[in-house]
Amino acid sequence: MTKFLLLTKRELIERLSQKGFWYMLVLGPLVLLLSLFAILKAADQGKQELKVLIADPGQIMGHRLMAQEEKNVHYYFLDDYLEIKEFDKANAYQEFDVLVELNEKVLNNKKCFVFYRDQLSPDIRIQLKFQVEKRIEELIAAQHSSLTEAAFRQIKQGFIFAFRDIKDPKNEAKEANAWAGFVMGSFILFFVGLYGMTIFRATVREKSNRIVEVLLASIRPEQLMLSKIAGIGIVALLQLLGWALILTLGLLFLQQTVFLDIFDPSNWGQATPQRLNPLSSLVFEQLNLSFLFVHFLLFFIASFLFYGALFAVLGARSGADADGQQFLLPLIFLVAFGIVAGIYAVYFPNTTLAAILSYLPFSSPVLAFITLAKGASIVDYTSILLSLLVLLACALILLKLAGRWYKQSILKF
Amino acid sequence: MIKVAQISKSYQRKLVLDNISLEVPKGQIFGLLGPNGAGKTTLIRMLNRMLSPDAGQIYFEDQLLNEKHLQQIGYLPEERGLYKTMEVRAHLLFLAQLRGLSKQEASQHVDHWLVHFEIQDWQNKRIAALSKGMAQKVQFIAALVHQPKLLILDEPLSGFDPLNVELIMNEIKALKEKGTTIILSTHNMKSVDEICDHAALLHQGQLLALDSVIKLRQAHAKGRIFVRFKGNMLSFANALWTDFTLLEQKEPTEGVFECILQLRGTSTVNDLMRSLQAQVAVEHLELLLPSMQEIFIDLITQKDKQHD
Repeated sequence: MTKFLLLTKRELIERLSQKGFWYMLVLGPLVLLLSLFAILKAADQGKQELKVLIADPGQIMGHRLMAQEEKNVHYYFLDDYLEIKEFDKANAYQEFDVLVELNEKVLNNKKCFVFYRDQLSPDIRIQLKFQVEKRIEELIAAQHSSLTEAAFRQIKQGFIFAFRDIKDPKNEAKEANAWAGFVMGSFILFFVGLYGMTIFRATVREKSNRIVEVLLASIRPEQLMLSKIAGIGIVALLQLLGWALILTLGLLFLQQTVFLDIFDPSNWGQATPQRLNPLSSLVFEQLNLSFLFVHFLLFFIASFLFYGALFAVLGARSGADADGQQFLLPLIFLVAFGIVAGIYAVYFPNTTLAAILSYLPFSSPVLAFITLAKGASIVDYTSILLSLLVLLACALILLKLAGRWYKQSILKF
Repeated sequence: MIKVAQISKSYQRKLVLDNISLEVPKGQIFGLLGPNGAGKTTLIRMLNRMLSPDAGQIYFEDQLLNEKHLQQIGYLPEERGLYKTMEVRAHLLFLAQLRGLSKQEASQHVDHWLVHFEIQDWQNKRIAALSKGMAQKVQFIAALVHQPKLLILDEPLSGFDPLNVELIMNEIKALKEKGTTIILSTHNMKSVDEICDHAALLHQGQLLALDSVIKLRQAHAKGRIFVRFKGNMLSFANALWTDFTLLEQKEPTEGVFECILQLRGTSTVNDLMRSLQAQVAVEHLELLLPSMQEIFIDLITQKDKQHD
C-alpha cells in the first residue's frame, strides 16, 4: 500500500508540476465562461440601449405605444415621412438606431418596414414587433368594433396545436435540460479521453525509457498500473474540481453583474413577451447543479477506472508512442460512440436502444446525465444507479484483466 | 544466499530456460555469463520476481523467494532508465522508499552515496540535465541505496568511461568486502576474470558451466606452460624433445628467454622440469590457465557444433 501511495504521489506531483496542467485549469473554464458569456450576450442583445424612431405621418399611433415600455429601448415619433437615405446620412438622425416606417394605411394593410443600422437580435425584433403590433391592434379594435381590446385579442389568438409524446403528455422531458445533461456527460468522456491519453503516454514513456524495469523490481505490474490510473485520475479530478469552482464563481459573477436584470422578475413587464434568456434560465434555474455534481463525480470515477485500464493496457502493449496511435483510434471511437449515443438518447429517449445504451459502460455516463438533468423519477433514478453499478463492476473486471495484460506486455520491449 | 532449483521458463512455446539449477554463495561475486539470448535476463527477472518460472523454485536464504525479500535485493538492469523530469535526490529518495526504506533512512542513505560518488552538487539537477556517465552513477546508487544483501548488476560497466569503470569495479569489490552478495551479468570477460569468484555460463537456456572461476579455468586448461629461463635457446629446444611443442618465444633481455609451450601426449609439468634442469636456468614456470573469454568461446562453439 505504501508503495502504491508512493507511486501515486509521484505521478501526482509530476503532473501538477507541469505548466500545462495549470494553464488548462485556468484557461479551460475561462474559455468556457467567455463562450457562455458570448452566447448569453448574443441571445440578450435587447439589453443594449436602442433609440427607435417611428415615422408616423398619419399620426396613427398618437405618439403612444404600450403602457409598459422596455427600459433599454427608447421610442421617438416623427409625424412625417422620412426617406431612408436621409435617415442614413442626415446628422439629425444619427442618434437613432432603428427607423420604423408606418404608412398611413397601416391599419388596413398591416405592413410596416423596420430599418436598422446594426443587426438586431431576435429579442429586440420581438420587442419591436410586440410594441407596434399591440398598439395597432388596440387602434383597430377601437376603430372597427365595439369589442374590448382583450376580447379582440382573444378572437385574434391563433389556435394552438400542441404535439405531445404519449409517454410524456405533460412535456416534462425538457429537451434543453436533456442537452445540458448531454453536455455534462460528454464532459466526463472528454476528461476521461484527455487524461486517458496521459495514462497511455506515461506508460509508453516508462516502457521506452526502461524505468519500468527498475520499478517492477520493487512492485507488481498491477500496482504500477493502478497507481498510474489513480495518480492521473486524481489530477483529472483536481482539474475538474478546479473547473467546477471557476465555472461556478464565473457563473455567479455573471449572474450578479452582467446578467443581473434578466433574473429579476420585476423587470419583466407583464405585457411583454417572455424575454428570459432560455440558456441562462436553464443554467441558473432549471438544473440542480449540486445534485448533478455529486453524480458527475461518481460517474467520472467509475468511467476513469474503466477507460484508464484500457489506455494503460494499450500503452503497455505499445513499443513507442507512434506504435500506439493505431491502437488508440478504436478507443477514441469508443469515446465518440458514447457521445453519439447521447445525441440519439436526447431525440429518442424512450426507445429500447436508448435503454440498452444506458447500461453500456461506453455510453452510460452520457445517458445517465441526460436523464438526471431532465429530473429523474424514482424509477429513472434506480436505473441510473444500476447503470453506475454496471459501469463500476465492468471497470473492476477490466482492471483485473488489464492487470494481467499489462503484466504480460510491459516487459516486452 | 540464492538457490535456483530446476527452473524452466517458456515464452510462446519457446524454451528460454531449461531446467536450470545453480547456487550463489553468500558474500561472493557470481558471474552470470552467456551470449545474447541465453536466458540471463529472464533468470534475473525471476530473481527479482518480475517473472514467475513455469517450473522450479527460487530460494533466498533458504526461504522460498517472496515479495518481502525484494527489499534485500538491489537491481541494476541492463536497459535502465530514470524519470527525466525528476531531480537527482528526489529520484533516489523515491526509489529508495520503493525498496522499503523509511523517508528518514532513505534520506540518510542517499546523502551518503551522493557524497561517496561526489555528485552531491548535482542533487538538485534534473535527470535530463545529467551526462550519460552521471546518470549511470545515479542508477548505480539507486541499485544499492537500500543496502541490499544481494545486488544484481546487469552490464554495470556499459556506458562508463575507463575511469568510471575502475570506480565501479572498486565499488563492487568494496561491496563484496562488506558482505554483499553480487550477481554480475556481463559480456566484459576481463571483469569476470578480475573480480568474480564463481561463474555460470548459460547458452540457449541451458547451463553449460557452473563452478568457481579458478576451477573453471583449471578444468579448461589446455596444457600450455609459460617458461622464463637464462641460457641457450638451442639447448632449450633440444631439451623439449618430442613431448612439448614450442608455441611462442621471445628474448626480452639478452640471454633471457620467455617461451610458451604446449604439453603433448601424457607428458606433465614435472617431466618438463626434469628435462630443462640440466640445460637451462629456469627462472619462472607457470601452467597457463585460459581466460574466461576463451572458456566462454570454446564452450559456446562446442555446443553450437554439437547442435549442428
